[in-house]
Parts: sequence; C-alpha cells; structure tokens
Amino acid sequence: MPDTLEHRDARVESAVDAPWQTIVWNDPVNLMSYVSYVFRTYFGFTAVEAERLMLAVHFDGRAVVATGSREEMERHVEAMHDYGLWATLSKEGA
Amino acid sequence: MRRFERQADGSVVAEIEDAEVTLLTTLTHQAAAVVGDADLDDPAVQRILPDAYPDDAEASAEFRRFTQADLAGRKLANAARILDCLERVDSGSLTLGHEDVTAWLRGLTDIRLILATRLGIETDDDLGASADPMMRDVYDWLGFVQNSLVEAIDA
Repeated sequence: MPDTLEHRDARVESAVDAPWQTIVWNDPVNLMSYVSYVFRTYFGFTAVEAERLMLAVHFDGRAVVATGSREEMERHVEAMHDYGLWATLSKEGA
Repeated sequence: MRRFERQADGSVVAEIEDAEVTLLTTLTHQAAAVVGDADLDDPAVQRILPDAYPDDAEASAEFRRFTQADLAGRKLANAARILDCLERVDSGSLTLGHEDVTAWLRGLTDIRLILATRLGIETDDDLGASADPMMRDVYDWLGFVQNSLVEAIDA
C-alpha cells in the first residue's frame, strides 16, 4: 500500500482518537452503597445504571465506567482516587 | 453511635458518645499522618494514592507528579473538616451539613482503606490476617458509620 498523505492522516487520526477507558476495580473495603453513591454523584448515572456498574465491579472484578480522551480519563481517575475508589485508565482493547 | 438521620434542612444528625469522638479523632489524625508522609513504600499509601496506569510505571509516575500533591491536599482538607465537626459535637449530637458529608464519606473511606491494609484484608470475605480483634471491630464500626451516612443522604 502506497504511503500516501491520506494514509498517514488516517494513522495520525486513529492514534489521536483511540479511546481510553476509566476502569474501576473491585476492592474488599468500599461498601456497595458507597460505590453506587459515587457513580451517581460524580458521573451523574441514574440509580439503575449506577447499581448495574457497581454490581459489575463487585462480581466481575472491574467495570469500564467511562470512555473518551486520555486527558478526560485522567481527570476521572483522579476524581475516583479522591473518593477512595481504585481506578485506572487504559487504552481501549489494551 | 446511632444511625444518621436526615433533618428537614438537609443536614444529617447522629448521636455519638464521647469515646467515639475520641476514637474518630485519633483515627483521623493517624490517617492524615499517613497521607502527609505519602511514603510510597507503605502499602496503605499505594492504596489511597494508587497507580493510574496499571501496566505503565512511567506514565503512573508522570500522573503522580501532576496530581499527587493536590490529591493529598484534598484528603488532608477532608481530615481537617472531620476534626472540626468532631470538635463541634454538642451534648452528644453530631451534625453534618452537605459539605461536611462529602468530606466525611471520603475521609472515612481513607481511614478504612488504611485500616484494611494494616489488618491484611485483601479479598471480599477476608477477615484479615492480623489477629487484632479490636482493630477489626473498629474497622467494621467505621463501615457501619459510613453506610449509615450514605443511607441518610439517600433518604
């Protein structure tokens, strides 16, 4: 495949746009009620969605709670650490 | 301590005994000292100020450089606010306004995370490798206090 300008653009764009994820991990300390509260309060999830994500964290060991730019996900991770939740960010699919 | 009850003005109130005020004051000071030292060799610090990038030590260190001082500062401010509220306890009554509740929920979480590390609690059903039943009771009691606070503001 010729290395045209068009192809280079597509590569740059996919590197910029590749979504990042904020992941919240299960821990034995945080109460289910508190994790739900954090998801509702910080992300503005409905009670039902917050409960679903909280249960995913609890039973699956982790849940993706947000997807977007790296900077955005770093802000979310810092906010989760503020609340005492164990959160990390990764590139989607990594 | 009894459960927190929500008042008409949005604040929450709980009855609290003198011994509980003393205990919470001590624990809050201890947690603030752990945050203040920010010794990354301390597993409790690794838990309250965790790595942001699970598989990238360099990016985690960079993230720390930009966020850790502010994050620790906010945790210390939460602790200071908890101590203020405890000093204001009047006739065994602890009253928390909206901003107080935010500081308490986060501050109690930090204290519980530190205690859990000291107790060796690593999994959901873990009773803790450390056989200090009194510390375990304190840990469970803090969970009761925190849960009661979440339920009171949800009410």
